[in-house]
Amino acid sequence: MHSLRPWLTPALFVAPGFLVYTAFILYPMLQAVIISLYDWKIVAGATSTFLGLANYVRAFNDAHLWLSLSNSAIYMLFTVPPQIALGLGIALLLQHKSPAQPLFRVLYYLPVVTSWVVVSLLFKYLFADRGLINFLLGLQVSWLSERGTALVAICALGVWKGIGWSMMIFIAALQGVPGSLIEAAKIDGAGPWQRFVSVTLPAIWPTMGFISIMLVIGGLNVFTSVQAITDGAPGGSTDVVLTHMYRTTFAFLDFGYGSAIAVLLTVLVFALSAFQLRFFRNGATS
Amino acid sequence: MSAQARALSSLRIVTLTIGAMVMITPFLYMVSTSFKAQQYVLKVPPQFIPDPATLSNYQRILFKDDFGLYFLNSLIVSVTSTTLSVLLSAMMAYGFARYRFPGREWLFRILLLGLMIPAMMLIVPQFVLAKWLGLIDSLPGLIVFYVAGTLALNTFLMRGFFEALPQELDDAMQIDGANAWRRFITLALPLARPALATATIFTFLATWDEYAWALTSIVSPENKTLPIAVALLQGPRGTQWGLVFAASIIAILPVITVFLIFQRHFVQGLTAGAVKG
Amino acid sequence: MSFVPTRRGALLSVAAVSALMLASPVLAQDVTIEFWGSYGNGGNSTQQDALNDTLIPAFEAAHPGIKVKYVDVPYDSLLQKLTTSAAGGELPDLVRADLGWVPQFADLGVLDPLSDTMPDFQALADATYPGVLATNLYKGKYYGLPLDTNTRVLVTSQAALDAAGLSAPPATFDELKAAAPKLKEAGFSVFADGGLGGWNILPWIWSGGGNITNPEITKSSGYLDSAENIATVRMLVDLYNAGSIPNLIIGNQGATGTSDGLPSGEYANIFDGPWMAGIWRDQYPDFTPIYAPIPAGPGGSVSVVGGEDIVVTASSPHKEAAYEFVRFTQSELFQVEMVKTGQMTVLPAYADQQASIAPFYSTFSEQLKTAKSRLAIAQGGKVDGILSAELTKAFTGEASVKDALTAAATQIDAILAAE
Repeated sequence: MHSLRPWLTPALFVAPGFLVYTAFILYPMLQAVIISLYDWKIVAGATSTFLGLANYVRAFNDAHLWLSLSNSAIYMLFTVPPQIALGLGIALLLQHKSPAQPLFRVLYYLPVVTSWVVVSLLFKYLFADRGLINFLLGLQVSWLSERGTALVAICALGVWKGIGWSMMIFIAALQGVPGSLIEAAKIDGAGPWQRFVSVTLPAIWPTMGFISIMLVIGGLNVFTSVQAITDGAPGGSTDVVLTHMYRTTFAFLDFGYGSAIAVLLTVLVFALSAFQLRFFRNGATS
Repeated sequence: MSAQARALSSLRIVTLTIGAMVMITPFLYMVSTSFKAQQYVLKVPPQFIPDPATLSNYQRILFKDDFGLYFLNSLIVSVTSTTLSVLLSAMMAYGFARYRFPGREWLFRILLLGLMIPAMMLIVPQFVLAKWLGLIDSLPGLIVFYVAGTLALNTFLMRGFFEALPQELDDAMQIDGANAWRRFITLALPLARPALATATIFTFLATWDEYAWALTSIVSPENKTLPIAVALLQGPRGTQWGLVFAASIIAILPVITVFLIFQRHFVQGLTAGAVKG
Repeated sequence: MSFVPTRRGALLSVAAVSALMLASPVLAQDVTIEFWGSYGNGGNSTQQDALNDTLIPAFEAAHPGIKVKYVDVPYDSLLQKLTTSAAGGELPDLVRADLGWVPQFADLGVLDPLSDTMPDFQALADATYPGVLATNLYKGKYYGLPLDTNTRVLVTSQAALDAAGLSAPPATFDELKAAAPKLKEAGFSVFADGGLGGWNILPWIWSGGGNITNPEITKSSGYLDSAENIATVRMLVDLYNAGSIPNLIIGNQGATGTSDGLPSGEYANIFDGPWMAGIWRDQYPDFTPIYAPIPAGPGGSVSVVGGEDIVVTASSPHKEAAYEFVRFTQSELFQVEMVKTGQMTVLPAYADQQASIAPFYSTFSEQLKTAKSRLAIAQGGKVDGILSAELTKAFTGEASVKDALTAAATQIDAILAAE
């Protein structure tokens, strides 16, 4: 009886939420893993054939999945660093208190609060052959007509929409950098860049890790913008993992294989997150 | 020195202004398009000031379709889900942050897995579950899954914050004889207001915009939420952009309102949560 | 109610229904049947209004005890919603299904085989156009009845003809080729289309005298990569390379869509359906489209059958009521009312009324006489994906026309083998 008591209090705090999570997220997640082992027939009551790991083997031999994964990876690589760099840059510029500070904060944050569907439609429209981008730049580029330029448009949207998010977190983190350390560095004759590298950067390093992990998860899970802007066109060349998975699942009704793709992507994201955690933890201690 | 400082300050303002213009130009274009009739939408060169301007898109949205009802449904669902999710996550985060118990990190990692799995793969198992529980085609059915779906991120966010609160305050109250629940309600929650505000903004945004589950679960027109109504404006045979953008502008107003109300707490909340990440 | 035949139609269906009520088992109390479709999508609610304000009330008045609940679902998501609902056993009683979905859902076993279960199916089926009815056939059984039909015809802009000094829309492949340079000089694309799936490319392939499989739908190699198809696709690729067909056709989502590009003066000719008439009237009041047959090639002028079928789900608890509604959709009242909103009737009996409501329908009716339907296979969506992906390579120059068609044929063979 007594040995149970220390558990009781935390259990009362954690249990309600965790039960809800278990019932409505974790249980369906396990179902999805089970589905991935079958040639799963969607209809209620139909018999499905057990395939073991065949869906996973198929994934490794699916050339289009690899193309889709490379597009997701390109998206991730070209959106995560700019979101971090630009978000941090703007946060540094916004560090000084001024009457305009709240206004700028809202303007930069505005894209974050708008729905993905809406801004994706907007970017499709802006990058149209007769759209605003071509008009402003005086170009005649068919942005969405081939893989490379279409990915430029999709990545531009990702960066544009994400800057405000990382900016807000960096502003917060920068307020936690001890002013005394910066003053000390100034007295030692360190320039602005040196002060940034030796004082500011180490202080916000854990924040950098948090942002990086969340952005990598989001980057590899890019879906709505791609579906709304190109839906894989032309000829599937701009498919990302989730658009490929969506079509496999809901257009071709191949639920087993779709689930296998989802599980593989989750494993990949989990591994990358673990790697980043280690990287940013080591950076902080060194 | 002061001349140089003033020059730097001007440069900063100019840079920020240019950046802000890039950030909001797409919005202004969207606002402008919402006042255009279809035949002016694709004009070359693009018009920033609609000529002729029309209110017909807004009239159509506000008076012809049942947008008021969908707006109300979305509001009910988002406000309820946000309140419940933030409360449950705050409790979980407090439990994870303030107590040591066997399997704590293990449970936490399982929770984080919920951030990583593509949500659309859960939809079919969730639908079967919802049917079994009688939660299909109802606003409570949306709320339950929205709460469950936002717990992981909110708990992740708030755990760091609670860990950063000084332990001494907690101890002092304990000596006063306050039980754990009272310490949570009267001490931890008020101190965590910034974190709660952060979670509120994120959760409200996520639930306000959710489309896939609402589409799957809702059948009756009277239970529709805004994202479904906006999707219905896009047709397989031509989309009326002016109409879509007018509806979208109406749809983002509450999200911006929530942001403006809570953003003053926002900064502090994220620091603590993020630093622990 | 100025429309006299409509009232007569309502009376007729009342009479028919009363007769059936006597014959069929009595319906238990009040039932509500649910009907999913996409009538109201895209900001144009004419069809949904006709359904909710005229047709369903008329049906309910004639069938005391049956209520119909129509649910409008976003078209892009309807398949996803149907799929998920099938998994949960929560399908509605009736679905207005895209033609291509009928085999797919029949294959899953979620549709009621009407040819087995509705006693009067044959009589109803015999009244419809055979080519349109055929879209409901899957493995020897009919799973639905045609609800509305359409086909693609050539739609031409008068402004483009004037600018290029042409007198009439191109009637043949050769006229099309000859018109291209003149139109290009005048700043128009001779032809534009929004993709390379079956809906887009089949009119060209059939008019060019080719096909994509053998008649038994068991083999594509030797058919899709035939000399006729190579010549047809090469013609399009040549026009594309000459800048006379915009890259919209390879899926450039940034190009102006055909329905905007034709009235706004970018495109001279497109293929489109009868539904555009109403949309153009609202959005481009100054534009008057010219309707003409698909340009004829060695195979004649052959277009593709489109439209929707009405199906009853196998899980429907109110099948008798659902069948009643299916019968109602074949009535004069329903068909003629929908004609007024831009849908084409599936019953030859109402073709004359249709022509008097809107004379431009006659081009479509004429085209429908020879129009063919797409492959009646469960994996039709995959075939579209293959055609689109492989033909894109031919247009972008990544592959020769012959290689692209051969590659597509090989992949389609595999799908047919698995059916």
